[in-house]
Amino acid sequence: MEEAVVVAGKAIGAGLAMVGALGGGIGIGLAVGGAVQGMARNPDHTGTIQTNMILGVAFAEAVAIYALVVSLIILFVLS
Amino acid sequence: MTLNWSGKRRWIALVLVLASLVVMFNWPPVVPVIQLPGEIYPAGEVFGLPITNTFVGSMVVWALILVLIRVVGSRRPRDGGEVPRGGFYNFFEMAFEGLYGFIGGIAPERYLGPIFKMFMTIFILVLLSNWLHLIPGIDSIGFLHPHVHKVEGHYELLDGFDTATLGGVHYLNGQCPWVSPDAAATMSDEALQARADAGCHSGIPAAAAADDHADEAADDEHGDEIDYHHVDPGDPAVPWVILPYVRVPSTDLNMTLAFALIAVVMIQVMGFRALGIGYLTKFFNFATLFKSPLGGIDVAVGLLELIGEMAKILSFAFRLLGSMFAGSILLFVISFLLPVIAPWPVFLLEFFVGLIQAIVFGLLTAIFMSLATVSHHHDEEHHEEAAAGAH
Repeated sequence: MEEAVVVAGKAIGAGLAMVGALGGGIGIGLAVGGAVQGMARNPDHTGTIQTNMILGVAFAEAVAIYALVVSLIILFVLS
Repeated sequence: MTLNWSGKRRWIALVLVLASLVVMFNWPPVVPVIQLPGEIYPAGEVFGLPITNTFVGSMVVWALILVLIRVVGSRRPRDGGEVPRGGFYNFFEMAFEGLYGFIGGIAPERYLGPIFKMFMTIFILVLLSNWLHLIPGIDSIGFLHPHVHKVEGHYELLDGFDTATLGGVHYLNGQCPWVSPDAAATMSDEALQARADAGCHSGIPAAAAADDHADEAADDEHGDEIDYHHVDPGDPAVPWVILPYVRVPSTDLNMTLAFALIAVVMIQVMGFRALGIGYLTKFFNFATLFKSPLGGIDVAVGLLELIGEMAKILSFAFRLLGSMFAGSILLFVISFLLPVIAPWPVFLLEFFVGLIQAIVFGLLTAIFMSLATVSHHHDEEHHEEAAAGAH
């Protein structure tokens, strides 16, 4: 019984930790949306825009991945 | 007359799919044990350090890089006029030139050489590490290991599976999760009979009865003396799991943290190389402290930059670790749920995730290096000029 409570707590905690992926998702969506608009209006600068977009996406994604790491640690490392 | 292979490959693929369906129903897949640190080889230690399977994975990556050097180097044209031989060499040259142009658009002309070398080194190493988990069987072939956990001097048995043999090869029997003799005593007769029909060794009536006595005796008298690390493979008294021979090195924090440290240290080296000792004014900026009323802000910004450099290490390390570890889990959990068709798109996804993570790691290093070569004062001069123009 006690073990089941611990497992339930871990599952809830890991699920809540993944709420952090929300921000990363919104951020990547905004960044790529803006970059695509920029590229459509100014195709000559596609290369520059793409580089900066990947940089921004990597930063936004990093936050989501921190959330993922936290939930993975809760699930597989905490005992 | 040439054989029409495009027609035959289709049938080969179909036969392989049918064969994997047969295998799936007869030998159901087993969900592996998931743990974050690399699994330690039972064989022993080298120089007092335990060998983990992620370390062996990175040795595999180095071997692949040696093969890559050999293949690309041997195909390289000796002089400009010679036509390069081999499709792989041409592909590699195309990728190399594409990436060189890509970095050429970011890095300052003067430091393009060293920045590109750093980028390409990180890119190839991380790419090969990431793609290692696309090899089928890399998570499912390994040592048979008794799943026990040592707590306060005595062994605690964890979840695991029974083993079976096929042609001298031991494998985990996915139909038979391991059951302790105590748990078997509480199971219904139908459940026990079903286990016996499935060919399980643990938790079946006869074995349970025999084991019960043996284990009780063991528990009472010398429970701690059973050496669980030296039991025969297939012993039904112990739960078994697979300890993979090779695991993707990017799923180990040691590897990603090492790369992150190297990248961040090289960024600082690049900064000192470009700006000399003046690079430190980026972090300790006291020049304007007493000159302007907002000088304190410059000091604070410099300290924030210093913290930012530390955060870069964590950011590099956890980005790669998180995405690759999650990818590995995704691959083997999908392979466990539906082993035949479902993993194909996931393998494709992981192919691209591995590529993008390698590019991002290298690209961020290149961008931070380029930023480190730019002096802060240069910008400020521009601002002052603009301000003077405005007046």
